[in-house]
Amino acid sequence: MGTTTDIPEITSSFTEYAIFIVLLPMLAFPVILFLGRLFNGNETWVKSAKEGGLIALPIMVASFILSLILIVEFIGSGTGSYYIGDWLSFGWIGADGMTIEEKVFGVGIYIDHVTVMLLFVASFLCMLINIFSIGYMNTDPVNDNRNHRFYAEFVLFCSGMLGMVLADSFLWLFIFWELMGLCSYLLIGFYYERPSAAYAAKKAFLTTRVGDVFLVIGLVMLWNMFGSLDYSVVFNPDNIAAVDAGELQMALGMMFIGAVGKSAQFPLHVWLPDAMEGPTPVSALIHAATMVNAGLYLVARMFPFFGAPAMAGELVDLAFIIAAIGGITAVMAAAIAFVQDDLKKVLAYSTMSQLAYIFTGLGAALWLANTPGMEKYAIVAFGAALFHLFNHAMAKGMLFMASGSVIHEMHHAHHDVHHHDDHGDDHHDDDDDEFDAQSMSNMGGLASKMPITATAMLVGSASIMGLPLIGGFWSKEGIIANAWRVALEDPRFFLPAFCVLLGAAMTGFYMSRMWLKTFAGKPKTEVAEHVHEQTPWIPIPLVTLTFVTLSSVILAGMMFTHWSSDSGYAFFSDKGLIDGLLYEFEHVFLNHDAFYFVLTYVAIFIGAIVGPGVAMALYGGALKEGEKAKGWMQPIINLSARVNKKRGFDNSAWAESGLSVALKERLYFDKWYDTAMLKLVAGFAVLCATFDRKVIDGTIKTIERSSQKISLSVRKLTTGSARDYIMMAALGVLVIYAMLEVMI
Amino acid sequence: MIDPAWVSVLSALLFTIGLWGAFTRKNAIVVLMCLELILNAANLQFVAAAIQHGDATGWVYAIFAIAIAASEVAIGLAIFLAMYGQHESISLDDVNLLKH
Repeated sequence: MGTTTDIPEITSSFTEYAIFIVLLPMLAFPVILFLGRLFNGNETWVKSAKEGGLIALPIMVASFILSLILIVEFIGSGTGSYYIGDWLSFGWIGADGMTIEEKVFGVGIYIDHVTVMLLFVASFLCMLINIFSIGYMNTDPVNDNRNHRFYAEFVLFCSGMLGMVLADSFLWLFIFWELMGLCSYLLIGFYYERPSAAYAAKKAFLTTRVGDVFLVIGLVMLWNMFGSLDYSVVFNPDNIAAVDAGELQMALGMMFIGAVGKSAQFPLHVWLPDAMEGPTPVSALIHAATMVNAGLYLVARMFPFFGAPAMAGELVDLAFIIAAIGGITAVMAAAIAFVQDDLKKVLAYSTMSQLAYIFTGLGAALWLANTPGMEKYAIVAFGAALFHLFNHAMAKGMLFMASGSVIHEMHHAHHDVHHHDDHGDDHHDDDDDEFDAQSMSNMGGLASKMPITATAMLVGSASIMGLPLIGGFWSKEGIIANAWRVALEDPRFFLPAFCVLLGAAMTGFYMSRMWLKTFAGKPKTEVAEHVHEQTPWIPIPLVTLTFVTLSSVILAGMMFTHWSSDSGYAFFSDKGLIDGLLYEFEHVFLNHDAFYFVLTYVAIFIGAIVGPGVAMALYGGALKEGEKAKGWMQPIINLSARVNKKRGFDNSAWAESGLSVALKERLYFDKWYDTAMLKLVAGFAVLCATFDRKVIDGTIKTIERSSQKISLSVRKLTTGSARDYIMMAALGVLVIYAMLEVMI
Repeated sequence: MIDPAWVSVLSALLFTIGLWGAFTRKNAIVVLMCLELILNAANLQFVAAAIQHGDATGWVYAIFAIAIAASEVAIGLAIFLAMYGQHESISLDDVNLLKH
């Protein structure tokens, strides 16, 4: 039906191997599963192969290296696709409704800047999380002898994400999307013997399924309009010009609901906090490297539709909805994060909030792309949103791994402290249910005991908060500035624009609160005093990501945020690093436009001073006498102690207030959903049961009863007497004769 | 020469008597005899038709039927003997096991 765009075909040698980025982890899945089954409990398997961890690691490293080669090649040659071959072909009713056209679903890879960004994030973080897992999972006595399942599902999960990113059509995107959905279910429910984990897995699976139904509807509508789901067809401006704008907006809106489910945005966000039931590496995987980024990727993929000249001004409503959902979620999730006591739950809500920033940024970018005359800003806004995705993924991956490190060491310390119980070492979780290793109320003062982890947490938090010059600062500034840029043009955007600005302050508060409660102040329990950093493997990814996050400023200097410039698909600006940095500094801190100048400083002020300041006043405190943290953390702790002493105020009134309770209950969303679902599902079930009993059972029973009656009366003919049979035979012959007579 | 039509009438009469006997009689041997009557009625009809059409096929059929009737009697009587051994009677009213 449609013509394809002239996407240059890349035919260099490495691109042909790009499929292995996806295939290697996918093939490792059965291998690890099989070997694990074979050697389960075997000494060599547990100690040397780390129950499959050391099989998964080289695979992920290979995937990462292949990804890097592909990325480098992309920077050299620009957007391209590589068609591997036909996968499925079938007849389809043609446009005129009469002829049968041949349709082909192909297999191929598609590379542009969005692909490259996500590919790097996914493959790099998957590799680091794999390293972390080897430290975390293999010293965890809870799950002895079933870690091979973890690694098998882990590599499958990674291949799902990498495949989704590299896919060259929405169909393959969807297939890998669902593969991730399955793996998230398996991994969240890894500790399936805990009812809460089984429940969380089910919840995650079903909630995202709600979104997926809409995604399928959207894809079917898209197929109906374009006759294909290949990017090369649907992104062609000529083909876009041929379709109805309202219908396209509807289809994209449906797909957006799918993204909302996958990226845990309001109102389908309820699964994400519960997903913390999985092992911590899984949380890192879901929150940083894979799952939640899928929804963002899907929305980012829609960019060509909004950028098409034929659609100019037609899709702004959808762009607004995307931004508004983002804005609402950003504030809501941040507010809930205020009161969470569980270390991982704070991070979970922080993820929701930050993803919402990215959605707002994407919404603004799509609005700008769709509005004539604003296209040049769209590129910057789009770049800022994607850059925030990058920064958030790196920081959140690090934060989760650091929190995993804290929880792991808390467990160990708890075990050491309560060594007197004679239950043996295995399954120690069973008998210490009353001790919550994830609760921040049990921590405190860990900065001096876990220097690497505390540093990683500090840098990650700073990046999420957007402290000037660190990681997320650059991208968050871009998102806020662009949201306001749109708001000045379209008053509806004041909602998301205001939300993201408010969210900056809230982020500053809850991230500081988390860090201070965990690492500053005096240890709140005996266990916290005995914590040491001792598990091997874990520090490797923490240190790596700390440096990556800190070096984000270089990427900003290389005009990372401008990378989606479609003038020849330049990856980086052609300015040099120093010039780029200077430009970026001048642009952010000394903006010539008075409005953005003020906006920047307002954002910095509330995000980096007001938010953390309040947190310090409430939760700050000096370490225990005689303990000292590393040189870069001690001043912060001292400052927090001083602020706390000077400005400390009693917040018990707030803690008792209705709002606080409501936030603790996650604004009752879960309860509402449960009640509504119960009413809806139970009502529907009763209806179904009635239908089943009355109609289906009724029909069958009527048939059964009448046939029984008939057979009872027929049975009387069987007298057993030979003479009756003779009579019947004679009568039968007579009947046959009569029939022959009549017929002839 | 007797009109073949009369032979047919006789044949029909014999057939009816045989059928009637087979329906009504209790004694298995009598029923067997009635069956023989029916067979002979058919033979008669074959022969009459053969004569009328001047075709030997009817004769052949009649001879076949006689042979079959003879063997049938042999089998039938053997069955009745076995039946008697089981039931101490050859009344067909006693042989109604098929009902169950």
